[in-house]
Amino acid sequence: MVAIKINKLRKEYKDLVAVDDLDLEIKEGELFSLLGVNGAGKTTTIKMLATLVKPTSGDAFIYDYSIKKDGDNIKKLIDISMQETAVARNLTVEENIGFYAKLSGRAQSERETIKKEIYSSFGLEKVAKKRAAKLSGGWQRKLSIALALVSKPKILFLDEPTLGLDVIARRELWSTINKLKSQMTVILTTHYMEEAEVLSDRIGIMKDGKLSFVGTKDELFAKTGKQSVEQAFVEIVSGGEFNA
Amino acid sequence: MRRSLAKILTLTDRNLKEIVRDPLSLIFTIALPLFMEILFYFLFHGMTAQFEMRFLAPGIVVFSQSFLTLFTGLLIATDRNTSFLTRLYVSDTKSFEFIFGYAFAVLPMALVQSVLFFIVGGLFDASLFGLSMLWAILLSSCLSSFFFIAFGILFGSLCNEKSIGGMSSIIITGQSILSGMWFPVEGLDGAMVAIMNILPFKNATLLIQNTVNGINNMFDDFVYPLLIVVGYTLVALVVAIITFRNKMKAK
Repeated sequence: MVAIKINKLRKEYKDLVAVDDLDLEIKEGELFSLLGVNGAGKTTTIKMLATLVKPTSGDAFIYDYSIKKDGDNIKKLIDISMQETAVARNLTVEENIGFYAKLSGRAQSERETIKKEIYSSFGLEKVAKKRAAKLSGGWQRKLSIALALVSKPKILFLDEPTLGLDVIARRELWSTINKLKSQMTVILTTHYMEEAEVLSDRIGIMKDGKLSFVGTKDELFAKTGKQSVEQAFVEIVSGGEFNA
Repeated sequence: MRRSLAKILTLTDRNLKEIVRDPLSLIFTIALPLFMEILFYFLFHGMTAQFEMRFLAPGIVVFSQSFLTLFTGLLIATDRNTSFLTRLYVSDTKSFEFIFGYAFAVLPMALVQSVLFFIVGGLFDASLFGLSMLWAILLSSCLSSFFFIAFGILFGSLCNEKSIGGMSSIIITGQSILSGMWFPVEGLDGAMVAIMNILPFKNATLLIQNTVNGINNMFDDFVYPLLIVVGYTLVALVVAIITFRNKMKAK
């Protein structure tokens, strides 16, 4: 089943074309990584799909709901974890989870279940009583991603989820994201090629607002003749100029 | 309707915790005005009427509310800056639910300010205690505070964390200089008094002072200041809601 169908999606800012007539389909349950250099249009694409940014033209459909017309219905199906850590800083971890669960209309008993699930998936129980502002960057990011799961979305957007994390915290998050794969459709943007290589079912490489490649890791290697996502990415984005 | 109310209360609960757990907000909204109330009373009472507790206490109540602009604005600006609000925009929460969530979170602070500063005032001048004090507490915590909160929502929607202090200082300075609580208005230039009369600062102060001290002329002492404060509050609130909605809308 197709979870996201993008038709000629375009976003212009004055003279800049941030996303250039994008066409793409993402299947339900897939983990799709969107790669690209800074300014390639990854975040703008995600923000359009999450109804945070209006497209200039074209449309996209989240389970047949148009991002242009059915924003309220789409919001019930999706959640997003932004590049920046987005948590209530003076609330404890437990209160943050409770706040999001209440806001998404969960009953008390359901909130307790969700809390336990999140604690178990992210190992947040040990810091449950700590205020978010007092947590390390890694824990804050974990909490930020965990909060996106409280509403039990069918589609989860992760915009550079491991940005700025140390290698151990990043590996821990990979393991958590891997567990999500079977439960929901995940669209992930990242600058870490290894992350895309480890986690993705399919990879899309964006350059100047366009998709230069869409396919599996193996298809990427076959197309470029390279043996790592990083080398293949550099090959596609730079036209081979910077590959040794 | 019930779902909206539940969301507003959830947001209110979170926003109140954010404000109360920030020691700076408690220092500026409670400790500093309390210190000023007691200090200025001891320094200047008996010199001019401004510093008699029956004028000073209601004046301090309204002055302390001007800091609510700063802390409401700071909370919203921080939420915007950290993408906290952007994330919430993806939920199906409506703009009016956000705005009431912020406003209602600040109202308990306004109530604490009014009750505390009037009671402390009453300890120095027992004539303050009475039914009129209850009316003044009600009016200040539910009406004049809303004027300052509305500006906080407006500034928070427009400014970032760095500029919110500067913008809010316009309101705090306005309340200090143009309210007439620190010096007698009678000696000022006519044009200056005319400006003060059409701005909300002096009217907000007069409204609460007159409610406590008694109303001689219903229109001049109560209705006119009330209309000015309500007018500015409504305009500020409508502009704040429009601004917040525009910021929330997908661009």
